[in-house]
Amino acid sequence: MTVDAPTDIGRQRRFGAVNWLGLFTLGRREASRGLKDYHYQIFGPVISSLLYLAVFHLAIRTTTSGGSNAELLNFIAPGLIIFVACEKAFENVCFSFIFDKHERIISDLLMAPLTALERIGGYLAGACLSGLVIGLAVALVSLLFADLSLAQPLALIFFALMGTVMHGLIGILVGIWAEKWDSYAAVHTFLLLPLSFLSGLFYRVDHLPALAQDLVRLNPVFYVIDGFRFGMTGEASANPWIGGAVLLAVNALLFALAYTWFRRGYRLKP
Amino acid sequence: MIPALAPRRYGPVNWIGLWTLYRKEVRRFLAVGTQTVLAPMVTTLLFLAVFVLALGHSVELVGGVPYMEFLAPGLIMMAMTQNAFANASSSLMIAKIQGNIVDLLMPPLSALEITLGLAFGGLTRGIVVGVATAAGIWIFVPLHAAHPGALVFYGVMASLMLAQLGVIAGIYADKFDHMAAVTNFIITPLAFLSGTFYSTERLPEFGRLLAHLNPFFYMIDGFRFGMIGHADGSLLLGALALIGVNAALLIANYLSFQRGSRLKA
Repeated sequence: MTVDAPTDIGRQRRFGAVNWLGLFTLGRREASRGLKDYHYQIFGPVISSLLYLAVFHLAIRTTTSGGSNAELLNFIAPGLIIFVACEKAFENVCFSFIFDKHERIISDLLMAPLTALERIGGYLAGACLSGLVIGLAVALVSLLFADLSLAQPLALIFFALMGTVMHGLIGILVGIWAEKWDSYAAVHTFLLLPLSFLSGLFYRVDHLPALAQDLVRLNPVFYVIDGFRFGMTGEASANPWIGGAVLLAVNALLFALAYTWFRRGYRLKP
Repeated sequence: MIPALAPRRYGPVNWIGLWTLYRKEVRRFLAVGTQTVLAPMVTTLLFLAVFVLALGHSVELVGGVPYMEFLAPGLIMMAMTQNAFANASSSLMIAKIQGNIVDLLMPPLSALEITLGLAFGGLTRGIVVGVATAAGIWIFVPLHAAHPGALVFYGVMASLMLAQLGVIAGIYADKFDHMAAVTNFIITPLAFLSGTFYSTERLPEFGRLLAHLNPFFYMIDGFRFGMIGHADGSLLLGALALIGVNAALLIANYLSFQRGSRLKA
């Protein structure tokens, strides 16, 4: 009895200009890495956002006698949703890189027949997907505290994508550059957290002194949060068109850098 | 002349061993001071900035002081306790994962000495972070020490309690995920909902009752009393609760190390 040998052994898979299968596989791996341990990876951020909302809810009761605090909570909730989504997008890529580097399996990525563009695409797809899933989860539970509306759905989607893509790209850059978990933690604590917290996430920038208002407008994360909030409430501190343009420019710049680094194999290939 | 080789003799306490373990615990976090001292300080200052910018425009007094001065002691205490917990728990956790936990179990250290060495290491991190955070906050908010005795008592007891909880968590957790779960689902909620950011006096009846069942409430309330001289709850009850919980945790940790549960084969 003879065994039929598979006929495609040794034959190269052929694909056109884009390796769709490879791109899809990388995207799927990235997204599943970010979401598979859902009880930590989804409930963790959900619980901490609920805590933020609860604490603000109670702190407002402390600082004002009576009156409604619904307005401030409706203001904070959209900011928290996009903040959590962006944080997750950054963490997803960055963790993936540092983990792969430590486990020495980064070569699996470098060996695969993927172009620099496909690699960026795969990582970003995973980052955006897990970021948006977690943002959605946070949005659902914040309905307990705040009224969420959909004033400008297109703006909402645009700014959600711009924000997660921006943080995903930063995650790629930091992931390529970092060798230790310390670097990830340092970028998170000393760069991303201050940029997010000081960007009108929890307060109206219109109330800030003039100089601080100018400074806030140099912070790209401000436009992400402001634009996303515009998508929900229809109110914005800055012109959403300007915000969108700034974010497109920043993302193009980050993308170009990430592309060059992948092409050169910077800190990845010997 | 070469002295004859013989086991080192010591009394009921292995002071050198205890001191060495303690010193190792302290050096472990000082070596990465950016992550262990500077990072919590920056995060706490961010919290301060955010809450003050969002709510500080109110002119109402909370507990007899402006909101900023009410908030500051709570934030300092939160940073202290979280870091005391993180020090002890991560030390055991990493030692277990990397396998160098044997270096802790092999030396002639009694269960009590191990417990105290780890707990005092966490306590020290809590105090160092607390002082650093207070210094950072002082730039922006005037800080007082209305009752220095209470300040020191509550600061030390609370850090010690969290350090001991960290030892328990470090013994029981097998993976970083477990530790993240304990921090995310137990420690942070208890700390956030304990009156750090708000006065429990303004809560509805039922909420106040719940808040007063949270041990973290007494730590923060007592520490705040030490700073601004105003407490929401009973100080005596808080002090007794902290002493009682610390004693119970010490016994629990002592028994754990004695039995070697989850540490020795």
